[in-house]
Amino acid sequence: MDPTSRPAVVIDYGTGYTKMGFAGNVEPCFILPTAVAVNESFLNQSRTSSSKANWQAQHSAGVMADLDFFIGEEALAKSRSSNTYSLSYPIKHGQVDNWDAMERYWQQCIFNYLRCDPEDHYFLLTESPLTAPESREYTGEIMFETFNVPGLYIAVNSVLALAAGYTTSKCEMTGVVVDVGDGAAHVVPVADGYVIGSSIKSIPIAGKDVTLFIQQLMRERGENVPPEDSFEVARKVKETHCYTCSDIVKEFNKHDKEPARYIKHWRGIKPKTGAPYSCDIGYERFLGPEVFFNPEIYSSDFTTPLPAVIDKCIQSAPIDTRRALYKNIVLSGGSTMFKDFGRRLQRDLKKIVDTRVLTSEARLGGKIKSQPVEVNVVSHPIQRFAVWFGGSVLASTPEFFAACHTKAEYEEYGASICRTNPVFKGMY
Amino acid sequence: MILLQSQSRFLLQTLLNRVQNLEKAVELDYHWVEFNDVRYHILVSTKNPNVLLLSVSLPTPPPEAVFMGGLPGGAIEAIKAAYGVVVHILDPPRDGFNLTLKLNLAKLPPDEVSSMLRRIHFPTLLIHVWIRYALLVKIASVREVVLGAPLRVVLKHLASRTVVPDVDRVLALVHRPKESFFLVSQPDKVTVVFPMRFKDSIDTAFATSFLQEFVEARRAAGLNNAPPCLWSPTPPLELNEAPAEALSANAGFVSFVIFPRHVEGKKLDRTVWNLSTFHAYVSYHVKCSEGFMHTRMRRRVESLIQALDRAKPGGEDKKKSPNSRSFKRLSLSDARANSIS
Repeated sequence: MDPTSRPAVVIDYGTGYTKMGFAGNVEPCFILPTAVAVNESFLNQSRTSSSKANWQAQHSAGVMADLDFFIGEEALAKSRSSNTYSLSYPIKHGQVDNWDAMERYWQQCIFNYLRCDPEDHYFLLTESPLTAPESREYTGEIMFETFNVPGLYIAVNSVLALAAGYTTSKCEMTGVVVDVGDGAAHVVPVADGYVIGSSIKSIPIAGKDVTLFIQQLMRERGENVPPEDSFEVARKVKETHCYTCSDIVKEFNKHDKEPARYIKHWRGIKPKTGAPYSCDIGYERFLGPEVFFNPEIYSSDFTTPLPAVIDKCIQSAPIDTRRALYKNIVLSGGSTMFKDFGRRLQRDLKKIVDTRVLTSEARLGGKIKSQPVEVNVVSHPIQRFAVWFGGSVLASTPEFFAACHTKAEYEEYGASICRTNPVFKGMY
Repeated sequence: MILLQSQSRFLLQTLLNRVQNLEKAVELDYHWVEFNDVRYHILVSTKNPNVLLLSVSLPTPPPEAVFMGGLPGGAIEAIKAAYGVVVHILDPPRDGFNLTLKLNLAKLPPDEVSSMLRRIHFPTLLIHVWIRYALLVKIASVREVVLGAPLRVVLKHLASRTVVPDVDRVLALVHRPKESFFLVSQPDKVTVVFPMRFKDSIDTAFATSFLQEFVEARRAAGLNNAPPCLWSPTPPLELNEAPAEALSANAGFVSFVIFPRHVEGKKLDRTVWNLSTFHAYVSYHVKCSEGFMHTRMRRRVESLIQALDRAKPGGEDKKKSPNSRSFKRLSLSDARANSIS
């Protein structure tokens, strides 16, 4: 049986959540928090006595603990309920940070969740556009050496996000991808499927910062949330209640006038004592997402709003692509899921572009009338896993198998085959 | 995770999801593949949200293993016995699959419990929920029921100390595409022989030593009641009658001797599952050990690099400001470059 006759496995691992499933489907099988809980209790055993029996006991404890770990929701639950498991997040800011944890994470994804034999499937993995070639090489090494995959394709997540919109009538592969995940946020211009590497802009504010900001707001107001749980509560609040407003001042007024309608409640149980508690959720509902539009409310280091960053990014791209880029701004990543996020972005960006057009017309004395620039922010219902969906679409085309690095190539040339990514032609 | 679970995680998740939101009509169309080339397909249409079509395709059997009507012997009876009224077998199955089941979720065990909640005390409710959950888990382990059916028949006879009538002495059962394992049944014991094959040469080496250790571990004092287990590089004598091409194995042969005490009552299900996925179990552990070795190799290399760095004469590297770091200085790639040269 040829592995090309089976659907490829698509794994999109992000800082916050990992999306995995089989190509050709519309939804990933599992969306799991990217977390690993490892039992490290055997490491703390006393090493003073050097008798052989003790060494052996330690050795076998180490070998046993090698499989004693959990990922995803189970990891979070385990680390909360017992002290023997220590939680680690293998990905930080969109880059793999801990390769040991990452290898274990993949192992569980493949064998426990997808339950597939890695030798039977081609794999499509994703990476951020700023990933170092070394780390791509390393991914290839683990995939080919440990898991023996027959073929591997490492795709750039923003290109996949563009490809997600590919199926709907138009075949547009030019656009700006605004990818705001949990740990990293990038604005990536893509022209005809190729990433314009020099114009990539990244923002130090991402989903985790929204969570931290909400946590801070709630703590400052003195809400009754147990401190050990406050980050998780803030995350849940962000995911369930936050929305984007069109104007902060108006929104404050609305909240003050009709608190019954706008203020939500949160009920939880204290993890240590088991006592129930409840707290109010007020302004943070719209102040959380506002961090992207007015970053000065959160940090004093970075104060450029997201629409201005996108504008700067497009302005730095080659001039003949700019109109097409303004026309197709694609949102992707969990942190763009706030209600009306796309509409607000489009409005603010349009304002910037129109002002520039007006000033240039005024400078030219109204002699030359320029064509209006079309600004269009595209949001689709599957934004949360748009990258995965794009991967699924890409991996179900017959050309995909030809574009993969195969095991034979790996054995012939080594891990350096993963170094170059065809979408960056000439960049590295 | 040491043992593979018998239920498919995704199938169970989907079923639970469906059952909890039965009134919400959704469109579902999902394909996926599990180890040993078992393919699944789920179909739910908005027109009839109570009905879920589950199709399963099994690995292609080798010539020595027999499928009757596209399914292993006894599978139909096993499905009927396991699921009862909830499941209806469609004949013929969907194109490209060996079996299509029509699940009627409305027929799952009583749901009116919630209205009886006021009258009856709490544990009864729990039991009902539990029965329902157990049935869903059973449906999610459909591959155990179907692929393990012939093995289950043999082991059931063993429990009553008889031999299955009119079956050859050596029975071949499919467990991987075009590969089979063998059963030699006698009234008081059944010998199960697995020819172990691996594609990759490293995997083969790992598996061979894993299996030798496995046999060794069986001799430990705590495992006196476990089935006796043997590994040999050549086919055991019981398989003299088997066709030669079915007996080429690059990682030797493992045989287990199953006694009636291993298949009593509830142990039967577990024994059937563990035996029918033994190859997947070994290959999972081979992969895990490879991962474990890599972790240790990485740590070792890193500690050696540290030692080398300490031994380097002069401190000119230290003058470099942290800003002048390039990608090249990533410690891991550094490690590799150094270990090669």
